[in-house]
Amino acid sequence: MLSRVADSLYWMARYMERTDSILRMLKINYASSQDNSEDFSWQPVLRIFGHLEQAEAAEMEPNSRKVIQYMVLDRENPNSVFTMVRRARENARGVQDNITTEVWQCLNGFYHVVHEERLTYLLQHEDPITVLDALIKECMLYFGVSETTMFRGEGLSFMNVGRYMERAIQTSDILDVKLSNLAYDLDKPTDTTYWKYLLMSISGYALYLKRYRSGFEARNIIDQVLFNVDFPRSVLYSLNQVQRHFQRLQSDQNTEGFSKVDFMIGKLRSKLQYSDVQSVSHTGLHHYLNSITTDISSIGNTLNHYYFAYS
Amino acid sequence: MLTSPLFHHYALAPRTWDEMYDEEKVRFQYRNIFEFLQRIPPDELSKKEELAKKLFMSQGITFTVYSSGEGIEKIFPFDIIPRIITATEWNFIEKGIKQRLRALNLFLKDVYHHQFILKDGVVPVELVYSCPHYLREMQGFNIPHDIYVHIAGIDLIRDHDGTFYVLEDNLRTPSGVSYMIENREITKRIFPDLIPQNFVRPVTQYPNILYKNLLALSPRQVSAPTVVVLTPGIYNSAYFEHATLARLMGIELVEGRDLVVENHIVYMKTTAGLQQVDVIYRRVDDEYLDPLVFEPSSVLGVSGLLSAYRKGNVAIVNSIGNGVADDKATYVYVPEMIRYYLNEEPILKNVPTYQLSNEDEREHVLKNINQMVVKKTNESGGYGMLMGHAASDEEITAYQKQIIRNPRQFIAQPVISLSSAPCYINGKVQPRRVDLRPFALCGPTGIEIVAGGLTRVALKEGSLVVNSSQGGGSKDTWVLAK
Repeated sequence: MLSRVADSLYWMARYMERTDSILRMLKINYASSQDNSEDFSWQPVLRIFGHLEQAEAAEMEPNSRKVIQYMVLDRENPNSVFTMVRRARENARGVQDNITTEVWQCLNGFYHVVHEERLTYLLQHEDPITVLDALIKECMLYFGVSETTMFRGEGLSFMNVGRYMERAIQTSDILDVKLSNLAYDLDKPTDTTYWKYLLMSISGYALYLKRYRSGFEARNIIDQVLFNVDFPRSVLYSLNQVQRHFQRLQSDQNTEGFSKVDFMIGKLRSKLQYSDVQSVSHTGLHHYLNSITTDISSIGNTLNHYYFAYS
Repeated sequence: MLTSPLFHHYALAPRTWDEMYDEEKVRFQYRNIFEFLQRIPPDELSKKEELAKKLFMSQGITFTVYSSGEGIEKIFPFDIIPRIITATEWNFIEKGIKQRLRALNLFLKDVYHHQFILKDGVVPVELVYSCPHYLREMQGFNIPHDIYVHIAGIDLIRDHDGTFYVLEDNLRTPSGVSYMIENREITKRIFPDLIPQNFVRPVTQYPNILYKNLLALSPRQVSAPTVVVLTPGIYNSAYFEHATLARLMGIELVEGRDLVVENHIVYMKTTAGLQQVDVIYRRVDDEYLDPLVFEPSSVLGVSGLLSAYRKGNVAIVNSIGNGVADDKATYVYVPEMIRYYLNEEPILKNVPTYQLSNEDEREHVLKNINQMVVKKTNESGGYGMLMGHAASDEEITAYQKQIIRNPRQFIAQPVISLSSAPCYINGKVQPRRVDLRPFALCGPTGIEIVAGGLTRVALKEGSLVVNSSQGGGSKDTWVLAK
C-alpha cells in the first residue's frame, strides 16, 4: 500500500473518531450545563478541545449555545466538527480507490450535512441535543459502514490503529477535563450527576451500574475509564485494540519499523495494565494522564517515520 | 399529433440539424423517449432533475472550486434527456474514428523517426518544428508497439445537413470519460426501465478494456505488473475522474510525490518499501511530467521519469509529445495523412480550416472575420477563442493585431452551426447545441471504441460553445443496438 494512502486512511479514521467523541462530550456537557450545577464549567472543554486562551474561554463560557456553535461549526477552530469532517473527507477523497464506495459516500454525505445552512439556524434556535444526536448518527453510520464494507487488509488495519489511538487520547482528555474541574481532588464531595454525565458521555453508565454497584465514587470511575478491559472506551481497551490491529501489519518487509512501533505500543499497554487507581493517584493523576497522551503521540511519530513518510 | 405543453417551446433554429425533429416529424430513434415524455406529468421531470443533482452530490461526482480558502463543491451540469445515436450513425462514426486514429498514430511515429511525410512535402516542416508540443526529446525513440495514442477523445459536430465533422482531435490527456460512465448510471436511476426498452448499448466495459490494454504494455514479463494512474492531485478539476478510473480498474491512484526514479526504474513508495511500477496512465500534462527535462519548477511530476521511459523500463500512457498531432494547425493535414499513410479516403470530414500563417488565407479571414471562429492553435477548453459573429469591434481589432503579430498561433473556421438536441431547461423541453466526444482505446490488439461517449451541450440559449469552462453541461449518450 502507498505510504500516502496509509497516512490518509490513518488520519481519516482519527478525525472521525475525534468527531464522534467530541460530539458525545458536547452533548453531555450541554445537558450538564442545564442543571445549574456548581461544578459545571465549559472552560476546560474550550481550553482542551477548542484551543482557546483562558480569557476567550471565560468570555464564551456562560453562553452554552455559543460554545456549541463554536465547537460544531466554527471554521477557524481546528477541532470543530465542521473542520474535522472536512479533513476526514479530504483524506478520503485522496484515497477513493482504497476505500469502498460506501465509505466514501458516507463521508461525502456527512460533509454535505455540516455544510448545510440550516444547521446554524437549528443550533441557534432549536434543541441542541437533537442536532448533536443527528450528527452522532452520521458518525455511527460511518463506523458501521466502514466495519461492514471495508476489505480486511492493510488499509483497515491502519484505520483501526488510528481510530483506537485517537480514542485513547480522547478518553484520557475527557477524564482530565472532568478531574480538573475538581482540582484533581478525588475526595471532594460531588453531586452524583457529575459523574453520571461523564459516564454517559462515553457510553459507560450502564456498565458502571452493573460492575461497581457502589454509587458514584471517583476512584471506581477512574478505574473503569482507564483500566477496565471490557469497557470499549477505556484507555487500556483502546491500547489493546491498537496492538491487535498493528500486529496484523507484521510482514517480511519493514521489520525494523514494525519492531520499533510494536515495542512502544507494548510498553505503553503494559504501563496501563500494571497500574491501578491507588498507585496512579499517588503519582498525580494529571501527570499520569499527560504521560499517556505524550506516549501515544510518540507512537504516532514513529509510525509516521517508518510507515507514512513519503516526501 | 397531440403534444404535451412541455414541447410548446421547442423552437428549431434555422439551418440547424435537430437530433429529435426532422421538420415536424420525430425521428424514429427519439420516438420512444418522446412518447415517454408525452405521458409524464411536467413536474415529474423537475423532480427527476432534482434527483439527478442529489445523486451527483451524494456520490461526490463533483469538482471543487476554491475561493477565499474554502472549497465549494460543484456539479458538472447534467441534462436529463439523453442524446440518441442510431446504429447506422454509430457504425459510420466508429469506422471514421478508427481510420483517423490509425493515421494519427502513424504520423506520430513518422514525425519522431524518419519524417517521410515532411520529406515528401505533405506536411510542411515549419509546421512541426514551430509547434510547442513537438518534443525533440522523443526523436528517434522507439515506444512499445508503436502506439503513441492509447486513449483518444475525438470531438465531432454535425452541420445543418447532419454530416459529421471532426472538430478536434484530443490525443494528450482527454478527459470526460467518467461522465460517460456516471451519466449512464444516473439515467438508470432517474428513468427506470427506459434503457432496456430502447436497446441501448452498454458503456460499463470501458475500464476493463483500458486495463487490459495497460497490462499489455508492461515492459516486465511478470504475472502481475504494477499499473497506476498518475494524477496531479485532489485540487485538479478532473480529480474525480482520475479516482473513478483507478477505482474501476482496481489499481493504485498515485501522485508525483508517491513515485521515485532510481537507476532508471520507477518505484512507488509503499508501507513495505519501494515497489516497481510498470505502466503509468498519466493524467499530468507533458510539460509537468519530469522537472529534469521539462518545466523545472513542476512538483506534479517525477524527476527522471523520462529517462526511465527512454530506457524502456516503464510504459507511459498516452505517450509524450502527442501534442504535435492534435495541434489545431496540424489538424488541417489529417485528411492528407489518411491518404498518405493508409491510401484511403477520409471517412470523417474536417471542418474547413484556414491557416493564418498562409498569406492568402489570412487575407480572406481578416476580411470575413464576422463569419469566422478564430482559435489559438495551442489552447483548448474554449479559451482564447474569437466568435466573429458575436464579438464587438474593439475585440475584433485587438484580436486582429494579435493575429498579425504571430499568425502561426491561429487558425480560423467558418461558423458551423452544431446540431441541436432536446434539453429539459426551466420546466420546458428546448433545443440546445451539442457535440459528441467518443473515446477510442488503442491497444496492441487494435482499436476499440465503447458505444457511447460524452455529449457536451451549450446550455445557454443560442450559444455554440459547449466547453464546461464556458457554461456547458453534459448528457447521457445512447447508442442504439438496432
